[in-house]
Amino acid sequence: MRVLVAMSGGVDSSVAAAQLVEAGHEVVGATLKLWTGESDSGCCSVADAEDARRVAQVLGIDHHVFNYAEEFAERVVAPFVEDHRRGRSPNPCIECNRRVKFDLLVERARRLGFDALATGHHARVVRVGDRSRLARGVDERKDQSYVLGYLSRDDLERLVLPIGELTKDEVRSEAARRGLRTWDKPDSQDVCFIPASRGRAAFLAERLALTPAEVVDARSGEVVGELAAAELVSVGQRRGIAPGRDGERRYVARVDLVAGRVEVAPLEAILVREVVLEAGSLVVSGEPMADGRRVWAQCSAHGRPVAATLTRRDGWRVAFDEPVRPVAAGQSVVWYREDRPELVEGAGVAAGS
Amino acid sequence: MTSYYFDHAASAPRREAVTAAMAPWLQGVVANPSGAHHAARAAQRALEDAREAVAAHLGARPGEVVFTAGGTESCQLAVAGRALWARRTRGRVRLVISAVEHHAVLDAADWAARTLEGVCVEHAPVDRDGRVTPEGLARLLTPDTALVSVMTANNETGVLEPLEAVREAAARVPGCATHTDAVAAAPWLDLARASAGIDLVSVCAHKIGGPVNAGALVARGGVELDALVPGGGQERGRRGGTVDVAAAVGLAAALEGVARERAAVAERVGGYRDRIIAALGNLSGVRISAAGAARLPGTVHLTVEGVASDELLFVLDRSGVCASAAASCSSGASGPSHVLAAMGVGAGRARGSLRLSMGAETSSEEVDAVIALVTAAIERLRGD
Repeated sequence: MRVLVAMSGGVDSSVAAAQLVEAGHEVVGATLKLWTGESDSGCCSVADAEDARRVAQVLGIDHHVFNYAEEFAERVVAPFVEDHRRGRSPNPCIECNRRVKFDLLVERARRLGFDALATGHHARVVRVGDRSRLARGVDERKDQSYVLGYLSRDDLERLVLPIGELTKDEVRSEAARRGLRTWDKPDSQDVCFIPASRGRAAFLAERLALTPAEVVDARSGEVVGELAAAELVSVGQRRGIAPGRDGERRYVARVDLVAGRVEVAPLEAILVREVVLEAGSLVVSGEPMADGRRVWAQCSAHGRPVAATLTRRDGWRVAFDEPVRPVAAGQSVVWYREDRPELVEGAGVAAGS
Repeated sequence: MTSYYFDHAASAPRREAVTAAMAPWLQGVVANPSGAHHAARAAQRALEDAREAVAAHLGARPGEVVFTAGGTESCQLAVAGRALWARRTRGRVRLVISAVEHHAVLDAADWAARTLEGVCVEHAPVDRDGRVTPEGLARLLTPDTALVSVMTANNETGVLEPLEAVREAAARVPGCATHTDAVAAAPWLDLARASAGIDLVSVCAHKIGGPVNAGALVARGGVELDALVPGGGQERGRRGGTVDVAAAVGLAAALEGVARERAAVAERVGGYRDRIIAALGNLSGVRISAAGAARLPGTVHLTVEGVASDELLFVLDRSGVCASAAASCSSGASGPSHVLAAMGVGAGRARGSLRLSMGAETSSEEVDAVIALVTAAIERLRGD
């Protein structure tokens, strides 16, 4: 099989490439140049492309750099900024996987004569019946099936995820055993196009007018503090919100960008039982959606899956068995099969709880 | 798989005569030419032989040749060294460089403007073929202009710049020196003639079959500049550090090799260029860049509508062709070309750029093969 491996310069995709070479496939590595602005370790810096190239040399495979800088700016960074402007909570990694790595790269791999695309994500492609399905990686703490939730059935037929069967520790020792210089490289953190030293606030402040807000107790209406930028908080969030006078933890209950007002409340007051999914956002790669279908729903990259029911009422909703923290508009819900909780069924964007 | 090397403009194949000339200076005792013994004198002798040869090929006096570690350093010394001197002696300084310069010049000027208070940089506009316009240049030349830098020929498109007009425009501003980056032109032009009257000329060896990290700056007629590396005072105080005898010998041998064969090679390769242009220029969606201007014989630059150059290069690489998108960044990806942007080529079209560059050993059979392979790649990627 001819396989194009997306090599970020990290240890996971290094080992993914190595496994494919060892399995006897004809492998070519490609690093995507995504972000031309400032970044730290991220997945886009020159140093990372050099690491990927070096790994390819050691494995004896060709390596190319593909330039997707314009597409990344258009399809990932611009919507990220725009979502914040509209008070939504985007996940740029999901968008990058969906709109760049899979939309564009799968198509390019096909055009260039490859049978499959491989990446170093911690997830698996498994056969169920006569179909390929996306499944969680075996390393629970590193599982990335959530950020791949929008892969279509067609994408999955042409996708190879070689390291989904390994734990992170196994990946690192495999890399070390082969003498790959990425073996002890730290995992990438946070958003690759935002330097950690500057942070999201500084990044967004250069691109939109942030809204100062007063923090208001949702029950008493009393003003209890202020925030420099209401765009930086999401419903359900506690980080950045000061506790009440009695030391009670408070969570964001509501964000009103127009009024410059963030309402806070204790956890039990903000919990919700369901989330509405945006109609145009749904992608189903597993069993078709059905009113009343029992699933496990996950609302963030490393969130706990919660038992839930898909319901159809003015569009699709996910009704949780237990109260959960609200899901901010723009976040994704990925649901998994009830009797085989490792199998992804589909994904959709929350319209807000 | 047969390999077709069509990336001479990035680096040319090493000449045998160069390797032979350098060999004695790459092994055993290679003394520091600044020493006071017979071994040092031997090194010094070789170095000064090389200096005289380089000077003769570039139309300069031997004392006007400063050896550098390559073309980028040569450009940096010309631009930043001139800016340092002018700011020290005059205060306010303007640098005028063409908008299509190589990054060696662009970044040197940016560095000076960013780092040195009182230094500013202006980019001279170009016409749609990428040539600086005398009117555009004249508008930017203020009395505080200390340097005008315009390349001899463009490294991406191969277009020849009107250096005579640059020299005339600069001559109207007292104290305004001229610099030309002649790196891309060196395999094809008689640089003594092409750069006549220009104060500062940058060349390097590896584009003409010599070693990398070998180059020179010609500083004619006592044009003043400050050293970037003063330590040691070598090269008459213009470039400190022990001079690399092997590199200097290699540069001289490479210039010698070019001079001997230039006329015949230019005629033959120019014919190949015209053949490639005739064949590829007819494909749907293909446009030859700067088709209306005089260009180097060895370079064909084109853009393909609806095809990304990284995909095109990938397919060509798989079929044995070494080519380039012309503008490369250090991560290995082709970035948007500032040269094409300055020429008014839209970003969409610029994304499909391809440069095929040839040299002395390129054969007629290779040209036919590459025409067929590039045609097949373009047709496949365009889905024709």
